[in-house]
Amino acid sequence: MFTPGSKYLIAITGLSAVSFALYMLLVHPSAIGAVALIGLLAATSLLTGITLFTRDGHASEGQTSAAALDTPTPSMWPLVGAAGFALLLVGTITTPIVFIFGIVAMLAALVEWTVQAWSERSSADVAYNAQIRQRILNPIEYPILAAVGIAVIIFSFSRVMLAINKDAGAIIFIAAAAAISLVGVLISVRPQLKKSIVGTIAVVAALGLVGAGIAGMGVGMREELVVAAQEDHYAHKECGAEKSEHFDKGVSETISATSGADATIELIDGKLTAHAQGIEGLQDSITVRRSNPINIIFRNKDAGEFRLSAYLGKTKVADGVSEDLITCTQLLPQGAEQWLTFTIAKPSVSGEPYTLSIPGLAGQSVEVVVP
Amino acid sequence: MNHIKNASDAASRVNMLTRVIGRLKPVILGTAGTMFLASCATNAPQDTWQPKGPNAQKIDSLQKPVFAVAGIIGLIVAAAVTYSIIKFRDRGQPIPKQSHGNPALEITLTIIPALILAVVGVFTFRTVFDLNKTSDTQMIINVTGQQWWWEYDYPANNEYGITQPIITSGQLVIPVGTKVMLRETSRDVIHSYWIPALNGKRDAVPGRITINRIEADEPGIYAGQCTEFCGLSHANMRMEAVALSKEDFAKWVANQLKPYAAPAEGTLAKEGETVFLNQCTRCHQVNGLTRADGTPVIAAPDENVWSGAVPNLSHLMSRNTFAGAMFDLLTPECRNDVWKSDSASFGAKYLAGVSEPCLNQTDLRGWLRNAPAKKPMYANPAQLAATGGKYRGMPNLGLSESDIEKLVAYLLTLK
Repeated sequence: MFTPGSKYLIAITGLSAVSFALYMLLVHPSAIGAVALIGLLAATSLLTGITLFTRDGHASEGQTSAAALDTPTPSMWPLVGAAGFALLLVGTITTPIVFIFGIVAMLAALVEWTVQAWSERSSADVAYNAQIRQRILNPIEYPILAAVGIAVIIFSFSRVMLAINKDAGAIIFIAAAAAISLVGVLISVRPQLKKSIVGTIAVVAALGLVGAGIAGMGVGMREELVVAAQEDHYAHKECGAEKSEHFDKGVSETISATSGADATIELIDGKLTAHAQGIEGLQDSITVRRSNPINIIFRNKDAGEFRLSAYLGKTKVADGVSEDLITCTQLLPQGAEQWLTFTIAKPSVSGEPYTLSIPGLAGQSVEVVVP
Repeated sequence: MNHIKNASDAASRVNMLTRVIGRLKPVILGTAGTMFLASCATNAPQDTWQPKGPNAQKIDSLQKPVFAVAGIIGLIVAAAVTYSIIKFRDRGQPIPKQSHGNPALEITLTIIPALILAVVGVFTFRTVFDLNKTSDTQMIINVTGQQWWWEYDYPANNEYGITQPIITSGQLVIPVGTKVMLRETSRDVIHSYWIPALNGKRDAVPGRITINRIEADEPGIYAGQCTEFCGLSHANMRMEAVALSKEDFAKWVANQLKPYAAPAEGTLAKEGETVFLNQCTRCHQVNGLTRADGTPVIAAPDENVWSGAVPNLSHLMSRNTFAGAMFDLLTPECRNDVWKSDSASFGAKYLAGVSEPCLNQTDLRGWLRNAPAKKPMYANPAQLAATGGKYRGMPNLGLSESDIEKLVAYLLTLK
């Protein structure tokens, strides 16, 4: 009653169901792995249903195609599938990334082996079988391999750029771009160049880049990035004397930052002004959302160095003891700007008004209203 | 020989496909019929083809001709494909002579679609720029999405009598004929705000502020729904825009700015206030509510809820919905009375708020009894590890029927 194709898909569906049940029980029902597994289960169930419905391509009992009489071609995909299943099981008790690799390997094995088995049964012509396999799988394989290749290149290159200093980074970037252009021109003007030479250049370049990336990972990030990460510059709370030399003063120029600003605060001729996004003119106060990161751009257009300080209420440090919660930008010279992000959870009615002010500049403050 | 075998295999596959389609015919016809009948629905408040404001009208004016052009092209292509499939179907005949390349035909078939797309592109870009115009904005409202409800806060705006910021949820109240800018963001995951009758959809992304402009021509209620999958109760994350005449909007603002009025001593509502203080103020804020010692009650949703916010319940009964606009605060009869009223009487009916006879006691009591049973939310404490023990949505508080009775009486006073 059941054809080999049906049996195979029924087994895969059963395996998916068991994996899904195991994952739900042993890992986490709401994790992404559960979604992936139930997707796999749904897909294999559908394929099984179609196969049963069409009786495995209308192969009636007793009828055997010419190709089925032959011994199947040796395939690496069962091995990959088994390795994937092992990773899947290991992943359930170690880390999710191992589990995800297992799922990917099993999916790849499932698709590749299924199509290979199907193509080998389609006719007795081996070349034709190989051709239809390629027609189905190459459009999937090539983009995936290209994406993986690009990811490896980007990751390796980023490790190199994070490890070296900014000046060397610029030089390497220019050199790499020039080398790529040069090779491109060479291939373009010498189309008769042997494929083996082009292939060798590509392989050497790829290996060199991956090797440099591994070396970059070994060296680690350059000092200023390490310091910046340790000091948590995006939540800079040290409003006293300047200590860090590595603060990124150009952060406010990023597209992401400027499109997410709630307000721009400017210091001009000793006066603090506020311009809330979307509201024409200047305001004495800005209204912000509670429990949501608020992004403020501070521009110092006054002579001298100033910082913007935000009073965010009081925080309890011990029973009966509380202290002011203050965050600020760094001291900024004239013409500089910096980004200040803070979150206020409680509405303004909870106590003293929240304010933005300039330390050392009396009488200039902007009220922050939280409904 | 191979050609003959391949042709035979192909014919066999076509025959099999024909048989499969034949078996699936009832399913295909049933699905198509259902879709066709669904398009005939008259009670469709989220119909994109019925613009009720200038921004939605601009989109409508663009999409109808584009739809017509695309539809005609689609029909031509479908007809050509169908004709080719039937006329030249495989009957076992030899493969006809193959030809490659016809420059005149290929250039023609490239230029014609390019010209069509260029014309569509010109009008599309013009509409996009028109929709993004903000220089003539008359009112700003901050819109914040979180799982699974929308919060609206109105910054001070003296022109409209908003002397203090107003905060509300579920229903966005706007004056008619006013260009309103919505500054959207999210507290947790990506949501998307869409009132089809008033404008297109716009994503609310954590850490970013996106701008969406709406304007309503006539008083009324315009329904919408979150259109970016955002978790378990995405389908229940609804919203309604309520457009009031400018006079009625001024009344609504005045009501929202009214100070808190505590229930009279000795009433059931007063007992409900005590229950509310003990059970609800950990998360829910009611502006002006004080403890027995006179200190203001400040809720701390940031300590209990993953998104850091829950609806502010000040003037709750001035709204028509609750729980992310999933449930009506009004009974079906009273709701229909408001929704189906004409423009002239709509404002007065909406501003009347929720009276005791019109209160949808069933859903409100059910919600207070066990909220996660009414709306799917991550309320199982065993699964809260990923959120640091904080809830997503309202948990089951285990209130007694007596407490629910008192709470309903209290909530009815929040007008």
